[in-house]
Amino acid sequence: MSFLEPSDLPPTGSPDDVKEFSRELNLDASRPTHGHEASIAQQHASEAVGALIRADNLIAGYFPGVHILNGSDLYAKEGELVGIIGPNGAGKSTLLKALFGLVDVTSGSVLLRDEDITNLRADQLVKRGVGFVPQNNNVFPSLTIEENMQMGAYQDPKAFKERFEAVTDLFPALGTRRKQRTGSLSGGERQMVAMGRALMMAPSVLLLDEPSAGLSPALQDEVFVRVKGINASGVTVIIVEQNARRCLQIVDRGYVLDQGKNAYTGTGASLANDPKVIELYLGTLAKA
Amino acid sequence: MPKGGKYQLSVDETTLPAGVSFTKPEYQSRSILVLMGDKKVLFGFSSGEGGGGATSSSFTWARISQLLVDGLFFGILIALGAVGLNLIFGTTGLTNFSHGELLTLGAFTAIVLNELGLNLVIAAPIAVVISAILWGWGQNRILWKRLRRRKTGLIASMVVTIGLAITIRYTLLLIFGGSPRSYQQFAGQTGLEFGPVSITPKSIVFAILAAIAIAATVIWLQRSRIGKATRAVSDNPALASATGIDVERVISVVWILGAGLAGFAGIYLGSTQDVTWNMGQRLLLVMFAAVTLGGLGTIYGAIVGALVVGMFVQLSTLFIPTEMKTVGALFLMIIILLVRPQGILGRRERVG
Repeated sequence: MSFLEPSDLPPTGSPDDVKEFSRELNLDASRPTHGHEASIAQQHASEAVGALIRADNLIAGYFPGVHILNGSDLYAKEGELVGIIGPNGAGKSTLLKALFGLVDVTSGSVLLRDEDITNLRADQLVKRGVGFVPQNNNVFPSLTIEENMQMGAYQDPKAFKERFEAVTDLFPALGTRRKQRTGSLSGGERQMVAMGRALMMAPSVLLLDEPSAGLSPALQDEVFVRVKGINASGVTVIIVEQNARRCLQIVDRGYVLDQGKNAYTGTGASLANDPKVIELYLGTLAKA
Repeated sequence: MPKGGKYQLSVDETTLPAGVSFTKPEYQSRSILVLMGDKKVLFGFSSGEGGGGATSSSFTWARISQLLVDGLFFGILIALGAVGLNLIFGTTGLTNFSHGELLTLGAFTAIVLNELGLNLVIAAPIAVVISAILWGWGQNRILWKRLRRRKTGLIASMVVTIGLAITIRYTLLLIFGGSPRSYQQFAGQTGLEFGPVSITPKSIVFAILAAIAIAATVIWLQRSRIGKATRAVSDNPALASATGIDVERVISVVWILGAGLAGFAGIYLGSTQDVTWNMGQRLLLVMFAAVTLGGLGTIYGAIVGALVVGMFVQLSTLFIPTEMKTVGALFLMIIILLVRPQGILGRRERVG
């Protein structure tokens, strides 16, 4: 099945561009300094006022005493598309999970419309308008596509019909194959089901954990177009991606995470062209 | 008995209630060494449908059709327990070795109400409700919900179920003693003759009610909002929670349903056979065999598995002694798992 018009393809850059760029850079200078971190935190404090969702100085981890996040800040304003990139083990997914209460936040806070939602149970977050699409195992395999969508509208069953129509406008294949069990779908198709189901909750902010992981390049393009489309429909989106270049091409604003802290932040385009970001992260991807 | 020693005991078969006979003629008279304070089951009775009444291993059509009908009824009884066992396993991952005790508790709840003077027709539904709320919802609330919140491992939880099963069994033994009890109503019914097959009216009523309960459970799972949520939780509890489903609420409902069905199964078993402190334990492995060979986690699998096991157990008495019939079920389970590791109706999911 196809979810995509050929003209929808996002712009692409070749890894060789990055390699060329990185030769001019000094490796040591690319690591953020302490003063740099402080200025990023200040920038956050001044910009995050009035944000739809904001996380301040998060310290979190999976085991007591082992912190994955060491004071991350993040915010997203109404209607924004925000990306989180960074090297493996930087804490990208952990930051997203911390926003959704899936990891224990030991210090710091998550605010939704200035209401404290730190460590709330997942179903209560859904009730408040936060949707989350995990990276793996993100469909109910023994349920049909339609039943998956019904689960999405679990807290508001009366709205099912209307929202399902809206979702099938975005993903027509979900409507035509509604009786198919999702356990028989491919990875890309499952990703569409998972995003569709999250939209069934009519979230005000949608958290996407590496939606393009494990997909072919063509399907990755499709996913990014879909994400852009979801955002265009008015949903605030926070997306974690390991495909950093593509991610920075579609987002309004991005965060580069390193060792559980914000290393850089700025608009997608400015990050994609920042020599330090390229050296720290985009460059390593290009070599891979 | 005044003192220990060797006694010769015999029973006059003509004094037994109608429908009750010896499973083997040699049981009619036996000598026994009695120690002071010791208790033993002296006579093995069978109440018509249990052992089919026949003692010889004759391959008559009458006997085979009787065993098939017995097997079907036994299968429906197993299914009542297996459905709950499977639902609890599916939603919580708990391998519940104390599920047999939910049957026993249901049967004893009905016995207590029955002995307080309530007719079984009234006592049974009340006992089912008590089973569902007290033994199901209450057990989950007091024990399992806390352990889940503490993130207790599945193996540790399984060991807890074994300990709980032993605790419940011996508490019942302590309170009610070891001798079998039976409900005051419908105890010694004579079977209705359908050609070569003899069935007691109470068995028919219980089997029909059980079939309705199972069918209702299946429809509930397929159609209702919370039934679908139950299947979603069975698939992936973390994702269900992230989708907005209150997983703990679903698990509570599953415990209520599972314990209610098990309590009903216990009363069914207690009425057609007798009520003893270890009646559920005797059925536990058969239920596990049904769930496993039908396909772990699939509701249809549990039902099909139960019917297959029920039939197989009864028919196996054509070849093996009645006392060993449960072994046949476990043997069948191993054979089926060798051929179809996912069980009869188990599905393999596509990866990626």
